[in-house]
Amino acid sequence: MPRLLLLLPTRTYRAHDFMEAAGRLGVDVVVGSERKQALADQVPGRTLALDFRHLQDATDAIVEFAKIYPLDAVLAVDDDTAVLGAVASEALALPHNPIASVTATRNKHRLRMILAQAGLLSPPFSLFSIEDDATVIADQVPYPCVVKPLCLSASRGVIRANTPDEFAVAFDRLSRLLRTPEVVTRDDKLAKQILVEGYIPGTEVALEGLLVKGELTVLALFDKPDPLDGPFFEETLYITPSRLPESVQQDIAACTAQAARAIGLQEGPVHAELRVNDQGAWLIEMAARSIGGLCSRTLRFGTGLSLEELILLHATGADVGAYTRERHAAGVMMLPIPYGGILIGIRGQEAAKQVPGIEDLAITIPLGQEVVPLPEGAQYLGFLFARADTPEQVEIALRDAHRCLRFTIDPK
Amino acid sequence: MLTITEAAKQKIQSVMESQGRPDDGLRLAIVGRRASSFQYSLGLVEQGQEAADDMVFDAGEFKVFMDANSVENLEGVTIDYVEDIQGSGFKIDNPNPIWSDPQHAAVQELFDTRINPNLASHGGHVELLDIKDDRVYVRLGGGCQGCGMVDVTLKHGITALIKEEFPDIQEVVDTTDHAQGTNPYYQPAKG
Repeated sequence: MPRLLLLLPTRTYRAHDFMEAAGRLGVDVVVGSERKQALADQVPGRTLALDFRHLQDATDAIVEFAKIYPLDAVLAVDDDTAVLGAVASEALALPHNPIASVTATRNKHRLRMILAQAGLLSPPFSLFSIEDDATVIADQVPYPCVVKPLCLSASRGVIRANTPDEFAVAFDRLSRLLRTPEVVTRDDKLAKQILVEGYIPGTEVALEGLLVKGELTVLALFDKPDPLDGPFFEETLYITPSRLPESVQQDIAACTAQAARAIGLQEGPVHAELRVNDQGAWLIEMAARSIGGLCSRTLRFGTGLSLEELILLHATGADVGAYTRERHAAGVMMLPIPYGGILIGIRGQEAAKQVPGIEDLAITIPLGQEVVPLPEGAQYLGFLFARADTPEQVEIALRDAHRCLRFTIDPK
Repeated sequence: MLTITEAAKQKIQSVMESQGRPDDGLRLAIVGRRASSFQYSLGLVEQGQEAADDMVFDAGEFKVFMDANSVENLEGVTIDYVEDIQGSGFKIDNPNPIWSDPQHAAVQELFDTRINPNLASHGGHVELLDIKDDRVYVRLGGGCQGCGMVDVTLKHGITALIKEEFPDIQEVVDTTDHAQGTNPYYQPAKG
């Protein structure tokens, strides 16, 4: 039985799905987290505490661990562990993406430079310090523009500005977010800078792919039917298969493959966000990991394999080229957060689950706890999942089910 | 089969009167087992609203409705009400063993000595509900309920330990409603 080190931050949404997948496949998984597991001392060899902030220390710990419990693969499931996954794999001479490539995906400015140098469609972009005076640099950026943190995910901190006044407000707001301890401890260097790039109008999609020896296989292409025009970019609906014309889908796949080559990614899952307009496909983000949150639950392959099973099979050397996504359409709604405050009640959950096509509803913030909307918010309120014959039916089911839900939030 | 001390009776009647529910009964059920003791549910129930299969005990001043699944382990129980410098409350003295079956008792011992003391460091705990057909049924609570890393705790902690000590056990079944967790130790967040 192959043994695989799964790098699971304690704040990941992905633990359940990867642990379930490992159990179904019979893969011997060791869990590496930044905090010691409660029962670690009672069950040696099954979990490993790693300092994710210090790559060399964490790598040394993995190498020492592997001397006692040999590892066949190291798999990072989230952005926070992606670089460690590559560094540790290199130290153990295991298949992996180049460290520089994975590092580039963790820095939006570096990524933007690589894509522009490779000739992909790119907006104008500039890098600023959080110490810069927003009212001064407001004259140096194009409008409309988008301010972005270099290292956060899932639209956190991303704000559109249409005028210099809006830019100054957006820049200061993002600067404050980047000074919070939670962000600074994540990456204090990247948290000191802000990327400003031209706003790209168009339709947004997400591509889930798997790289094998540098070749991209598109596992799923998700449409995002809700407009994402700003000022914040709260993602809601992801629906697959895409309803875009086949030629556009091919452009999206080609753009993603070209971007992966330019970055140098070779192996494993990739998640890409793109926009499409009259000029073509524009790559917005690319991460060397699978889709975030609980969204992977929309995907089934072959005779019912989950995305996590597919990833684990690939990581342990299996040929997964024959697996394709099921014929049904599927989708997820990341439940929008209407406003901030304390979540004190949710009504209509049973009615939402009864909507035809709805498979599940998962609320991911406990009652009594704070909900924070974007751009600062770091948690999903919850997820609705649907499956049906067509993408249109999936979208209707998700919207109908969402209308059943009533959230009571007590503003602080 | 059930003894209710005069102090307990007086307190129960006093609660009934203060709540304007003098005709209610008392409902008693065992809802779990932890740290070598039963966990109880004790509360007022309007007569006629008790469960259909509850066993009724006439305490004289009021009736006690005992949960049918708990009756076997409520035999010989004494309910007292105590007040001392440490506080006041109902005290239930139960002479029954936590588990009569040796395997159940052995798994409970594992929970009490090796698992729960460590889960307590995360504000969590696990209860043994039953063992049937080589499956151990458990319920997690406290910081474990709804925790983002509960699968790791369950599979790489609880299940691994149970299988190590009891090789015949095939599976550990988690019956917890994790969606109802209000204070999970680890909560997921976006990167």
